[in-house]
Amino acid sequence: MTYPTHLNRRFFLQTSAAGAVAAATGLPAQAAGLRAVNFQLSWLHSVQFGGSYIAASKGYWSDLGLDVSLAQGGPNAPVEPPVVSGNALVGISAADYTAAAVSEGAPFRIIAVAMQKNPFAIASLAGNPVNTPSDLVGKKIGMAVANTPVLQALCTLNDIDINAIEIVPTQYDPAPLVSGQVDCLLCWETDLPVAMSVQGIDNTTMLMADHGYAVHSQTYIATEDALATRRDDLVALLKGEVMGWNDYLADTDAAAELTMEMFPDAGLDLSAQKLQAARQVPLMFSDLTAEYGFGWFTDETVAANIETLALLGREVSADLWDRSLLEEVHG
Amino acid sequence: MTRLRRLAGVLAGLIIWEAVARGLPGSVLISGPVPMALHFYEHAGLITRAALETTSNAVPGFFWGNLVAVALAALVVVVPRTERVVAALALLVFCIPLIASGPILRVLYGPGDGPQIALAALAVYYTTFLAMLVGLRAVPQSWTDLMAVYGRGRFDTLIRVRARASLPYLFVGLQIAAPAAFLGAMIGEFTGAERGLGVLTLRAMRGLQIDATWTLATLTAVIAMIAYRFFGWLGQKLVGYRPVILLSAPGAKTARSLPARAAELVGITLLVLILWQVLMDGFGLNAFFAKRPADVALFLADAANREVLLSALGETLSFTLPGYLAGLLLGAGLAVLLVLSPPLSRAAMPVAIALRAVPIITTAPLLVLAFGRGAAGTVIIVAVMIFFPTLVACLQGLRQTPGQIFDVFNSYGAGRFRLLSAAQIPAMLPAFFASARMAVPSALLAVTTTEWLATGRGIGVLMALTSSTSNYNMLWSCVVALSVVAVIFYALVAMCERAVLRVYASEQVA
Repeated sequence: MTYPTHLNRRFFLQTSAAGAVAAATGLPAQAAGLRAVNFQLSWLHSVQFGGSYIAASKGYWSDLGLDVSLAQGGPNAPVEPPVVSGNALVGISAADYTAAAVSEGAPFRIIAVAMQKNPFAIASLAGNPVNTPSDLVGKKIGMAVANTPVLQALCTLNDIDINAIEIVPTQYDPAPLVSGQVDCLLCWETDLPVAMSVQGIDNTTMLMADHGYAVHSQTYIATEDALATRRDDLVALLKGEVMGWNDYLADTDAAAELTMEMFPDAGLDLSAQKLQAARQVPLMFSDLTAEYGFGWFTDETVAANIETLALLGREVSADLWDRSLLEEVHG
Repeated sequence: MTRLRRLAGVLAGLIIWEAVARGLPGSVLISGPVPMALHFYEHAGLITRAALETTSNAVPGFFWGNLVAVALAALVVVVPRTERVVAALALLVFCIPLIASGPILRVLYGPGDGPQIALAALAVYYTTFLAMLVGLRAVPQSWTDLMAVYGRGRFDTLIRVRARASLPYLFVGLQIAAPAAFLGAMIGEFTGAERGLGVLTLRAMRGLQIDATWTLATLTAVIAMIAYRFFGWLGQKLVGYRPVILLSAPGAKTARSLPARAAELVGITLLVLILWQVLMDGFGLNAFFAKRPADVALFLADAANREVLLSALGETLSFTLPGYLAGLLLGAGLAVLLVLSPPLSRAAMPVAIALRAVPIITTAPLLVLAFGRGAAGTVIIVAVMIFFPTLVACLQGLRQTPGQIFDVFNSYGAGRFRLLSAAQIPAMLPAFFASARMAVPSALLAVTTTEWLATGRGIGVLMALTSSTSNYNMLWSCVVALSVVAVIFYALVAMCERAVLRVYASEQVA
């Protein structure tokens, strides 16, 4: 039942609409005896990982000697177990998740940061908008109760009493907002609001990162063991990522179209993918990345993260971040 | 004529459905048949591929799960001494929630279909095991005595007598299993599968694609219904006879001494702990997410952790008992109602199967909207999630009433309710209690799911927190707590069962 990953991928490459593009890179990968690497994504395939798809389809990784399998995540597919187990060399996580995993004994390091700005946002309908944290007072917010510390941190950062907000436990879905069960949702800037816009529902978002919530997201994590023993592979993987994401920035529509072609069975919608692709640009690219390159972080951004993480109840040190691989990539 | 009338009924239903959907303009919770048909037409290729993918995982899962169930039930009947150990292990494995088993299966299998098939198998083995156990015992004592007189062993009895007698119950098991396997394969896709109806459902719900969500849910329900009907039809074909009268002498009281029971309990507990440790070590599962008994013991040695767990457990239990009873009542009540009114049965059965086959993440938002997030809403969601096995088993149980008994009642001109209360309901009891036992772990899992989706309290939330906090010690402590509760619950149900069946169906009380 379980096929070797390269068989799956090759089968897909040959049969998908993108086959013509991808086969040129996928098949020589087998012949050249590339080093196999599993890359664990944090969620279902979508343009959220567009840069990685570009790296795969344009052969950036195979040129660097890697045969990368992209494993998608899901509601019951946490990233940390396969990375801890060594099934995946690199995983996509977030600074708060990684800090929690480290406090539970996982030997992780953050080796690059895709989302400089945290994607958490408060989404509301245009007729009853939440534009500033103080607008939250007296509102009903739909969210997973698991995210209460996130809302608490936002409140602390902006001197809001969390008890003045009514938390309604909902599943991660725009329906409770649109049907009027809640006034706003705690969600990602790039998923539920995009879905509402595509469905023609006038909505507005307040990005938490614009109100002091500094937590690196879509971070690349690897184990200390991998850093010690598979450094070259890690550098090559990140190099391919950087090249892929640079292409992504140049043409986000093309990234959305590639995503559609590569995953015809994922049930994606092209207009939603295009909007999502454009919307995540300001989260991933900044003056910092323009100067130093994709994925970069500085002592200052790390210090800001440590402060916000402390509000979330996570005491971490700057050692959690390791920039040496990025320095090699961009050096 | 009846066919025409039925067609008209279906058509009327569709028109009402469409009218309701249109009557709620801008509603994001309900879609009508017309937009759904359009959606299906536009995405026929995509949806068909996804349906085939999920089916192709559900089928092997269904096969393996039921095979294991039948084998376990046969083992228990041939070697009765194994019953408690086998039943305990079967129950405990069934108690492991997806949030704990998902990462383990994915790490074990890697990418591919393995976890989906495994979860489909896990979703079906337990109910079939319990149904088969009742079936293999539904044999008059005189038959087993006869076999014994001829010097035939237990194995011979199993093959020649019990296997035949168990067929109606096997088909009950298969009918319950068919929608469950499909649902299992679907939620198995939540562990990182690339394609299938589960993946599409997730995507549609988050994308606010209401037509897509309803199309997928309807398709899922239709597939489950076809599977359910197929096994019903197959059962009728293969078991087209009235059951024999079971006349068994009341079983002798086999009270075991308290020390013997305590020793057995300790033995089973030790066995479970050893198996837990050995399996996780044997597969080389990393202790970061695959916790061992010692990890949990150490974690729970901290009073603060115990406090958190126990207060969450208290909240969970306060919803479990009413939800469990409501589910049983709904299942058994519906079964009785359907027997009294066969036309109602034709209308209600598809709804019942749909409620069982469509993932709770699709149905929960509607139920929450209708019944709220309070105690009533929670209890109703739990009842909806667990009533189906009870309904199917009780329906079959009601049909188990021997034909001669019908004749006796008829010849005395007994009324419909008299027949029901004096003959049919007693005949239903073994099946009812089997489903009451089936419902124990399901009710706990249902409550924890509801807590995560709707109420935001209790053990369900504690477990859901794991995904962001990697607190696998707490997750496995929750698993242990739920398992202990399930075992106690199960033992209580079994006690009631023995007391009642000793009178009404003593062949079951071996």
